[in-house]
Amino acid sequence: MRSPSDIQTLINRREKNKSLEAPFYNSPEILDLDIKAIFGKHWIFVAVDPELPEPGDCVTVEVGNASILILRGDDMEVRAFHNVCRHRGARLIDERATTIGNIVCRYHGWTYNEDGDLILAEHMGSGFDKSCHGLKTVHVRSIAGLIFICLAENAPADIDELARTMEPYIAPHDIANCKVAHSSELIEEGNWKLTMENNRECYHCEGNHPQLTVPLSEFGFGFSPDELDERRSSDVKKYLESVERDHQRWEACGLPSAEEEHLANVTGFRTMRLPLSWEGESHTLDTKVASKKLLGSFTDAKLGGLSFWTHPNSWHHFMSDHIVTFSVLPISPNRTLVRTTWLVHKDAIEGEDYSLDNLTQVWTMTNLQDAMLVRLAQLGSEQPAYEPGPYSTFTEPHVEAFCDWYIKRLQDHFAADQAAIAAQ
Amino acid sequence: MADEKLTEVTRVPLWDPEQDDVLVCRQVRQETHDVKTFVFSGREPRAFRFYPGQYMTFELPVEGMVTRSYTISASAARPYRIEITVKRVPGGPGSNWLHDNMMPGKEVNVSGPGGEFTTDATAEEKLLFLSAGSGITPMMSMTRTACDLSEPSDLHFIHAARSPSDIIFRDELALLAAQNPSLKLAFTCETTSASHSWSGYTGRLNLQMLSLMSPDFLDRKIFCCGPALFMEGVRNMLQQAGFNMEKYYEESFDFGAETAGTLEEPASAAPEISDQIFRVSFSKTGHVVECGPGMTVLSAAREAGLLPLSSCQRGICGTCKSKLISGEVDMQHGGGIRQREIDQGKILICCSTPLSDIEVEI
Repeated sequence: MRSPSDIQTLINRREKNKSLEAPFYNSPEILDLDIKAIFGKHWIFVAVDPELPEPGDCVTVEVGNASILILRGDDMEVRAFHNVCRHRGARLIDERATTIGNIVCRYHGWTYNEDGDLILAEHMGSGFDKSCHGLKTVHVRSIAGLIFICLAENAPADIDELARTMEPYIAPHDIANCKVAHSSELIEEGNWKLTMENNRECYHCEGNHPQLTVPLSEFGFGFSPDELDERRSSDVKKYLESVERDHQRWEACGLPSAEEEHLANVTGFRTMRLPLSWEGESHTLDTKVASKKLLGSFTDAKLGGLSFWTHPNSWHHFMSDHIVTFSVLPISPNRTLVRTTWLVHKDAIEGEDYSLDNLTQVWTMTNLQDAMLVRLAQLGSEQPAYEPGPYSTFTEPHVEAFCDWYIKRLQDHFAADQAAIAAQ
Repeated sequence: MADEKLTEVTRVPLWDPEQDDVLVCRQVRQETHDVKTFVFSGREPRAFRFYPGQYMTFELPVEGMVTRSYTISASAARPYRIEITVKRVPGGPGSNWLHDNMMPGKEVNVSGPGGEFTTDATAEEKLLFLSAGSGITPMMSMTRTACDLSEPSDLHFIHAARSPSDIIFRDELALLAAQNPSLKLAFTCETTSASHSWSGYTGRLNLQMLSLMSPDFLDRKIFCCGPALFMEGVRNMLQQAGFNMEKYYEESFDFGAETAGTLEEPASAAPEISDQIFRVSFSKTGHVVECGPGMTVLSAAREAGLLPLSSCQRGICGTCKSKLISGEVDMQHGGGIRQREIDQGKILICCSTPLSDIEVEI
């Protein structure tokens, strides 16, 4: 058992630009801390608007032990509640996704309206005050159709900065008029931070992602200029030229493209519209659009791939024809759920406008390849010989940014705890 | 030692409308297929002081809260219980709620008694009661009271019903008439069915019929109660016959509605017109039942001996959501179902009344 003071020691002695010490990847106590201090206090990405397109649609999501119910009301607003009946605690909605009228506990019929107010509880007598037994609410925020929740009582306010910055980037892709073409749930056999760290660099791409690196340049995420051979030098040059050219073109047609990096924020995020190789249209093997129905009011298919990352648990790619979103949720110290959702225009018809295979192939393969890498990293962290190793300052600055953010958030968590104790 | 608030015999305190406002349901009686009598008393023993023909106003927890006035059907000479007799009304939230939810032990907030429609049960006068449908309730209270206190001096009681099986209090009225020679009964039914032998009058009440039922009706004081159309018909008929209308008293079918400011029963719900019975078929079990006006699909299912899952019985929880395969219903739900589900042919059977023959996937 690791005590809080042991954990604080580990936090405080973390060396910058090095991977974390082994317990961060395999200690149950640190996973518990992550659930409480990271997933319990920050904005986490859990769903997209098209998962609940109509009033009464609801999805549930498990964050640690907490089950959260997300519901679209008749006013089209999205609400989130703890998925727990206020009577004897039964789980209210047991399905991942369903459609409901009011929220009814099937155990004893306690019924809540879409605001979470208890409106029906029979046999409780005249002295029973229903107004004291409403559902516990959870903060919820849709950023241009990406649904974030926060379990904390006081949610980080800098979600506003994220919204302000990101909405102009995402809005043209018009998530509200998309539908879910496919979704997958992959359990990676590794700690959630290894999943995130793996996502924050493309150092591993050339050697592991033969499909992803067709449309996506490994150089979009950093490289070391000293070690480039002739082929790589020319690739980098071409890539940098295409960034400049494409950004100009995209910005001119109203698509913000420049890099925005706010990874040190409490609600940390980064974005950039990345040029794509070859035909330059989409994350597909032939780099052409996977769906003939372009999103929003796009008429040009060559809009690159808008990449959007958030701490602690998501990344997203927005193309002219489809969107792929990823939500990461810890299950145990060495198991992590990666939920991937592919969105296409709501009017796109499968088999006519797109084929599911072509649409999902690149990221299905990439996810499997990443899962294998995360598993290897996890196994390594459990070996006695493991010690934190150095990050490349060229290709892994965003991994460092993630770990730095994580350590800082834990430090803040303990500081807040101590302040609370001192105040008592 | 005399306490004015206690009756001499029982020493039970009088119900004081200023103090008392909760009735507890003690018994529910099924009078006909769509009429029930609900028996109430106070939480503690109370004696009620009311005139036969008066009503009480109930606060019912439906659609937030509605108030409805119901005539007391019990004898004023049996003052320890309050009884109301209520017919299910299509789309009538109050009557449907009572039928589906009121049961022994349940409490309800009330006010009253009130109302002016009454007789002096001890007066020596020739009376004629004319009622239709559940308009019988004030007449029944007056009749019971008169029989309890003495014998009615000279009472003709004429009641119009949809069919023989719709005659409320039929057996009790027959018994009272057998015990009280000065009480004369006559019934007329609009329709009769082959399964019940019927030797009474058939068809809507008319002057010719009235002259046979109560040959000296012109000499009587007339009390009339029933749906608006029925009472309008009676007034026209009496005027046509040269009846002195100063001796005519009527109560709207919707007892005390004006006083209570609510209207439970729309004119279209009057028994004369809404006499349709619809077939409700349950596709999975193969049961078929007839559903009377105002009866919910859930009640019809129960009548068929089925026990479909249900909980709140007022369209809030959605437990009874079922597929309507064919036909039309009037659904008054409380948020337990979404429009898109309704569009997909789902209904909540607890708050749906048939508007045609229907088939439900149960």
